[in-house]
Amino acid sequence: MTAAPAAEHDPEKRAPVFEKIMLQQKVKARWRFVEKSSRFDAPEWRLLLPLGAFFVLFFAAPLVVLFLVSLSDGIALNGFTVAHYAKFLTDAFSLSILFDTVVLGIKATAVCLVFGLPLAWVCVHAHPRLRSLLVFLVILPILTSVVVRTFAWIVILGQQGILNKTFLSLGLIDHPLRLLFSEVGVVMVLAQVQMPLMVLPLITTLQRIDPNLADASRALGAGHWRTFRRVILPLWLPGLVAGSILVFAACTTAFVTQTLIGGARLVYMPLYIYQQATGANNWPFAAAMSVLLMISVLLVVYLLNLAGRARWAVRHG
Amino acid sequence: MARPRLLDLDRSSFRAVIGALAAIAFFFLVFPTLIVLLTSFTSTASLRFPPPGYSLRWYTALLDAHQMQQAALNSLKVAAAATALSVVLGTSGALAIGRSSARWAKILDSIFMSPLLLPALAFGFAALLYFSLIGVPLSLATLVLGHIAVCVPFVLRTTIASLSQLDPALLDASLSLGAGPLFTFRRVTLPLIGRGIAAGAFLAFMASFDNVPVSLFLTDARTEVLPIHLWQIIDTDLDVRTAAASGVLIFATVILMVAAERFAGLSKQLH
Amino acid sequence: MSRRVGRREFLGAGVAAGALALLPRGAAAAEPLVVATFPGTWNEAHRDVLAPYFRKKTGADVIQTILLATDQVAKLEAARGKPPFDVAIMDEGPLLDAVKAGVLEKYPVDKSPNYKDLVPAFQDPWGPKISLQVIGIGFNPKKIKERPKSWNDLFNPVYKGRVGLTALNSTLGMAFMVDFAKTRGGSESDIEPAFKALKDLLPNVGAISANLGAHAALFQQEQIDIAPYNFNFVQTLKEKGVDIDFATLDTGIPAWRTSLHVVKNAVQPDLAVQYIDAHLAPEVQEGMERTPYWVIPTNGKVPLKGEIVKQVAKSQDDLAKLKYQDWPKINEHRSEWIERFNRDIKL
Repeated sequence: MTAAPAAEHDPEKRAPVFEKIMLQQKVKARWRFVEKSSRFDAPEWRLLLPLGAFFVLFFAAPLVVLFLVSLSDGIALNGFTVAHYAKFLTDAFSLSILFDTVVLGIKATAVCLVFGLPLAWVCVHAHPRLRSLLVFLVILPILTSVVVRTFAWIVILGQQGILNKTFLSLGLIDHPLRLLFSEVGVVMVLAQVQMPLMVLPLITTLQRIDPNLADASRALGAGHWRTFRRVILPLWLPGLVAGSILVFAACTTAFVTQTLIGGARLVYMPLYIYQQATGANNWPFAAAMSVLLMISVLLVVYLLNLAGRARWAVRHG
Repeated sequence: MARPRLLDLDRSSFRAVIGALAAIAFFFLVFPTLIVLLTSFTSTASLRFPPPGYSLRWYTALLDAHQMQQAALNSLKVAAAATALSVVLGTSGALAIGRSSARWAKILDSIFMSPLLLPALAFGFAALLYFSLIGVPLSLATLVLGHIAVCVPFVLRTTIASLSQLDPALLDASLSLGAGPLFTFRRVTLPLIGRGIAAGAFLAFMASFDNVPVSLFLTDARTEVLPIHLWQIIDTDLDVRTAAASGVLIFATVILMVAAERFAGLSKQLH
Repeated sequence: MSRRVGRREFLGAGVAAGALALLPRGAAAAEPLVVATFPGTWNEAHRDVLAPYFRKKTGADVIQTILLATDQVAKLEAARGKPPFDVAIMDEGPLLDAVKAGVLEKYPVDKSPNYKDLVPAFQDPWGPKISLQVIGIGFNPKKIKERPKSWNDLFNPVYKGRVGLTALNSTLGMAFMVDFAKTRGGSESDIEPAFKALKDLLPNVGAISANLGAHAALFQQEQIDIAPYNFNFVQTLKEKGVDIDFATLDTGIPAWRTSLHVVKNAVQPDLAVQYIDAHLAPEVQEGMERTPYWVIPTNGKVPLKGEIVKQVAKSQDDLAKLKYQDWPKINEHRSEWIERFNRDIKL
């Protein structure tokens, strides 16, 4: 907008009439182009094409194939049958595995929330120099291999592991706890492995909350706890929901952690699907299970989203 | 006089609880990595902490672990290719939808980010079925394609975040001063979102290198990648060599992260 | 400008440095051979004794994929045109499945010079038997002073939470269940007594491993103190300094044969035969018969010695007298029993 007037009014830059008209035309043409761009026209679609095409070909298409195979008898896609879904949904053993997986995700997410909120709080309210170090250390685990991190816990949680040794020496227990191959162990390890996924969105949203709000609340007489509960938490909700969604999604599909820490007696959906897919070569059944797992995860994610928005609406009328 | 004391208790209890929980969380975040590092220097053949003795024997044993080295090389190749392609696809996609506040842009944003929400294991299996159906044999190339799907969201996220901080007036100015769209992109947009793209590229690289659920279905013994190899060994052997390999991976990650922090301001891009 | 250079620089340097640092030392003469192997003693023995010998003879490297026999059959069935490995290692039960599924090649005896030296009982047109596996009770001698004598010892309430089992998809697990059923009146067609007893055993069970390698980890990390276990694996763990010893059963030593096979449509069939032949060589079998592997040799030229003589059999003829199970009968119900076991043990 500023370029057009400038050429006209600046006496130094005043061009002869013909050239002035040409310049104005050029500027108008460019401006029309800019306007067009912001209305998403040809250039935008062209930019979208590579990613869109890739997604259709290599993300959407495989999922469609997955769905089709779950409704047929194999990769040849002969016949239509819901037998695989029926087999899963009428089998108490299979349903219990699906249920356990969802519950596992919820438990691990809850633990992440309880410990992630304070961690994010400290990261944001810390001294600026300390803060970069803290955030760096929070990001670091998510970038180390999940196999490495889970492996560390095998060493820590064993009967002779350091956790048991410490508890024993502190006299908290008189014989070693069974942490490895127990649900408690799996929840603990999952929570630690996925914690950064919770903390990062929490930090992001906490930083966006106006600190004046908390100060105002306390100036008006509310204590720290009350301010936290009535002012901070509701504003922090979007971050909590975002973090919870990411952690839940990651925990339900955490194959390595579930198998290494859970062992053979704790079977969750990822292992079950893997066993049926590669061990029993029962592709249609495994496909049906995969679809059911996806639906379950999306359902919980949808509910979490709803909960976030509902609370928000209630708080803000 | 009673009021200030109440407030003090309130304040100190708040700080104490938050501080304690945060300290525990922090400890558990960092502690396992340290344990692995220390255990990798054990002089015995079994995984005990604390190690009865210290030595570098397991690190030198890695030099003979040809299969592990081959797996690591495969992982590097796949991660490099997946990252490069993710950057191209992600950046162009971000440019298309990042500057628009239209509804369709938000819908597309959710769709492109969905690989992070859907169970990656289900997608990995779906990819296996897909390639079987269309008759394409498994290879490092199909693995790259599978990885791109789960890596692109990272590039997309950070690039869109960068774009949202880009002042549109700068673009307008460049265009109305006579610069073509390509020139504007190269000289104005790209440098300004460069750090965002770089942070996304770094995350995409690590996501590919570390990926298990997709690699589980799309690799076999001939195209083995490092996380699968390590998992197989841990699941079947608990060989201390895995601790040494983990140590190497930890060191490498820390170095890369420090570099990413210096050159791309990684932590600032993520929060 | 400097930012752009910095970014490209670090990405490029990172990838290049990583690639350089991790290039395998020395290029192999031929493409590496991809073989399947069992967890535990097997993959270690193959890696430390067989692979170097093979490399010296042919110049080719070996890439191992660690899989149970049942998983190998599944993978071969899933990818018939291009099998993921060229050499399969099978126990008796899964071998029958593999032959039925048509994923193996008949063994080219004329290309294998060491084949004729095998004890006749271990020769087979589908592939030579490279060893025997015998099972008994692995136990921690520091915690359990009295040597266990039979499967019933597992039920001793003193061992509550200290007993280990392994899933039935490994031959160890299956052989244990069948042998245990037989001691309680069952047979290879009917192991119901074992399943009934399993319910009583579960309170004693500390952990159940999904495969043999994980079983070793349980002993190593002292999660369990007593479990059905292979003779070889116990010896290997003992050498690593783990507190473990092997107890033979009063009811007789259950055993089965393990064999190597060339896979159909193998990418390098000739190398595959050479690999299997190398496993039959006296040098290799002697090397594996030593500590810490104690793999029982099948080559007639290699005498039995050491721990094998002490605990298993004094001579090759004695090997024939071990308790072999009727795998064709077991195979009829194998998948059904595997699934039932998985359901019964689920927490």
